Amino acid sequence: METPRDDQLAADLRALRPAPRPEFAAKLDERAAAGFPRHTHWRWTPFERLRLALPSPRALIPAGALAVVAIVAVSVVVAGGEPASEPNASGPSTGGTTLGDLHEFDSGSSGTVEEGAPTTGALPSSAAATAGSAEAGGSAELEPFSRKVAPQPHNRAVERSAELVLAAAPGDVGDDSAKVFEAVHAHDGIVMSSSTREGKPGEAAARFELLIPSAKLGDALAALSAIDEVRSRHEATDDITAPTVAAGELLADSKARIDSLLAQLEGAETESGREAVEAELAGERRHRARLRAQLQHLERRADYSRVLVRIETGGAEESSGGGAWGVGDALDDAGQILAVAAAVTVVALAILGPIALLALLAWLTHRAWVRRERRRVLS
Amino acid sequence: MEQALVAEAQDAPRTADIAFERLYRSSRDDVYAYVASLLRDAPAAEEVTAAAFESAYRKRNRFDPERGEPRAWLFGIARNAALDELRRRGRQAELTAEPADVETFGGRGDEHSERRLAVAEALERLEPAERELIALKFFAGLANAEIAQVLGLSESNAGTKLHRAMTKLREACDGNA
Repeated sequence: METPRDDQLAADLRALRPAPRPEFAAKLDERAAAGFPRHTHWRWTPFERLRLALPSPRALIPAGALAVVAIVAVSVVVAGGEPASEPNASGPSTGGTTLGDLHEFDSGSSGTVEEGAPTTGALPSSAAATAGSAEAGGSAELEPFSRKVAPQPHNRAVERSAELVLAAAPGDVGDDSAKVFEAVHAHDGIVMSSSTREGKPGEAAARFELLIPSAKLGDALAALSAIDEVRSRHEATDDITAPTVAAGELLADSKARIDSLLAQLEGAETESGREAVEAELAGERRHRARLRAQLQHLERRADYSRVLVRIETGGAEESSGGGAWGVGDALDDAGQILAVAAAVTVVALAILGPIALLALLAWLTHRAWVRRERRRVLS
Repeated sequence: MEQALVAEAQDAPRTADIAFERLYRSSRDDVYAYVASLLRDAPAAEEVTAAAFESAYRKRNRFDPERGEPRAWLFGIARNAALDELRRRGRQAELTAEPADVETFGGRGDEHSERRLAVAEALERLEPAERELIALKFFAGLANAEIAQVLGLSESNAGTKLHRAMTKLREACDGNA
């Protein structure tokens, strides 16, 4: 047999070309005409089967975008529903605040809370007990500190203060002022000073400096807030436990010293010795009186809260604390919402980023492995 | 004008369908021949050919004419499917390969048939990669440029490899003779 020439070899090769069975060709034509419905005897790998089962990546883009939007929306709603619990948080105030909106501090450190930071905490029973002694007035005989019940849990002495700004029509300033007096009286408070000015919007105003029993501060603020529209409310606490305890200890020491001096006085044999002890005793008694006054002052600070109430008239922009919800507030809210949305996005990216990176790495590794294996098949 | 644009946009998928149908009609037997030469197993070649066309049909809108010829794209898909099948089967393909005989080529036992039997046997002795080159050229009827695209080679490199494969095949035929 002769060696085939190039054209003959090519012709022989073309003649060796495998041809499909007519049945197969006809069936494939049918499937092609039907647009290759998803029905095949092809043995897919699990990866390929998963890829076929999943929608195309383009179809996943809107679904993914929707998921991200949903996550952000839910987060914003959740974040929007939570109170601004951080100290000094500011925001538009709303009227109709109830007792439940008042914040009770149990920590020793000082802090502040604005209107719109509601808590569900109720007054502790110890505080209620303290209210009794506070109601007796600042003139009540001072009891030793150890027997006094502090107005806060854990026997901490906490000085509290609040500032409330009400918005009123000029003609209502007088009535609102009267209601302030009524509320203070109803809660056994003391009006330290007050001033009322009639006039045009922006000029008519009132100002009250009050002392309210700390145990009744929540109720009193709720009553004061109900008088008119609340433009702003601010509460602060200051822990005065340390100076109160120190003053009590010094008072006890002083009493012991006086007892000791009295004993020395009884035992004094000479006139000069007696005079010396009496002089020392007098000095110690003055010292004790100062300590007692100091302790009384501290305990009164804990028992009574200073409250400043201002009634303002005119536009919200004229008040220092804001007022009716306006464009500025809307911009603030929008900024906060955007900030929350950005934070949620960052968190989502922090979670999804590594997952996507791992998936990408897995996909690239799989792809490289498949390519290597394909090359190896023919090598 | 606007209606014409809308109609054109609506016709876009149909254009892809028509182009794919043409590609299918012109390549069906070529793809089968190429896949069958790789697998050497007719039933498996049918399955892989069908799967390759199905896959190409699903991806038809992703085909970018700037990246190559449609036939090269289609044969690339078929090649991957066939190699994956080979990968799955391992050496099973060689075990199931049917030996060629004179009956396959007409059964007349004349010089024509014997020569083709010798070429078929020589083809069997080639390396798989060389056999693939020859299959792409003579079974599928691809041009060197298309072969280069399918295999990811330069056109000159594909031509050189094909030439070597043909030389080797001719030498193998000489050995048979």
